[in-house]
Amino acid sequence: MFASRTATSRLLASSSSKVASTSQIAQRAFSVSATQQHAAPAPVPPKQALKEFKIYRWNPDQPSEKPQLQSYKVNLAECGPMVLDALIKIKNDLDPTLTFRRSCREGICGSCAMNIDGVNTLACLSRIDRSETKPQKIYPLPHMYIVKDLVPDLTQFYKQYKSIEPFLKNDNVPEGREHLQSIADRKKLDGMYECILCACCSTSCPSYWWNQDEYLGPAALMAAYRWMADSRDSYGAERKEKMQNSLSLYRCHTIFNCSRTCPKGLNPAKAIAQIKLELATGA
Amino acid sequence: MSFSVIRPHVVSRTGLGMLGLRHISTSRAVAVQASRRVSAAEGISAQDTAGFKYVPGGPILPGTVNDATTFPPADKTHGSYHWAFERVLSAALIPLTVGAAVTTGSAHPILDGILGVSLVVHSHIGFDSAVVDYFHPRKFPVLGPIMSWILRIATGLSVWGVYEFNTNDIGLTEFVRRVWKA
Repeated sequence: MFASRTATSRLLASSSSKVASTSQIAQRAFSVSATQQHAAPAPVPPKQALKEFKIYRWNPDQPSEKPQLQSYKVNLAECGPMVLDALIKIKNDLDPTLTFRRSCREGICGSCAMNIDGVNTLACLSRIDRSETKPQKIYPLPHMYIVKDLVPDLTQFYKQYKSIEPFLKNDNVPEGREHLQSIADRKKLDGMYECILCACCSTSCPSYWWNQDEYLGPAALMAAYRWMADSRDSYGAERKEKMQNSLSLYRCHTIFNCSRTCPKGLNPAKAIAQIKLELATGA
Repeated sequence: MSFSVIRPHVVSRTGLGMLGLRHISTSRAVAVQASRRVSAAEGISAQDTAGFKYVPGGPILPGTVNDATTFPPADKTHGSYHWAFERVLSAALIPLTVGAAVTTGSAHPILDGILGVSLVVHSHIGFDSAVVDYFHPRKFPVLGPIMSWILRIATGLSVWGVYEFNTNDIGLTEFVRRVWKA
């Protein structure tokens, strides 16, 4: 009877069979410790692979001091493979004052967007360059106002996103059932709905650098087209009408930096081209 | 890098100075923003920017952080018509250039004239785009219009020059032909 029970049920067994159960546990404990006598792993000599990171530093508490590149040496043998791992390690072990945004560490939140070796990308998706001779340079997103170190001020970026009304607008929403969409119509949104608004594309666009107070930038424009292309949205004409000026949309000069830098592999330039085409043809 | 040299002052003003004052003006600014549709460059009072002067493209943003940016007034002349005309003209230049290359300017003066004017207009649109990018009047209220007028005068002079060259001289196509063979 006892043999068929699990160890847990034996521990919970009634007090009447106390003697038998305790002796069994004692036996069990012996046998378990006997099988767990493994050989201790041979100590691995710690490998040293010192990689230099040069990181943009600027402190708002000392506004008179110019921003500068600060150098950190990280032992790659004790560090994860991604640049974000190195940043976290620097913040933990070397310099707790280093400031950067991060959250999900897997490329879905868009917080850790920064300029790494000259390319706007997510630190969590970009591998550390293993070459120990060349330092890896990390800057905040280019041509943005900096709050501190690697943290840019994205207020304008979010205000622009808000201006394109990124939500479904339809006066005749079906009641009591789902708002249906054909498979073909749903397919039109692929490659646009995945945008995580990390601002890598907009801040890589020279047009956005020079005119970001009026030009919406690739991220907001792709979001705008995502709602123009949605078959459930009935305000496409109004959305397009808002783009009929020289600044909001037409400051795009098809430079393609946006599509090149997108860490999610999306194509904002194509969405912008679609808006231009539909505005011109009245589609 | 050079931009960040000036940014620090700017950020401490937007980040710290404004937020403290913001609470007072938020409700009013929202109401004002909702009731009007003007371009961001005009009609922004110091009240909307918590006492700081709004400069287009500068560190002070109009309205509160929760207000959406506004759009300039819609005008297809500056929007889709402009874009479509620009593309059609660019595409038309290809057959025009080929046509001029296989004929002679003296035999087809009309074609030569159309090519000359199209090239000048095409260049005008290109340069105008650069002027809008770098010398927009919202940022350069004096220099912007000056640049626009310099461009217009240059374009006008070029069209006049092409006209003179094609009527009183050998014409564009013939000129290119002679330079090519020289």
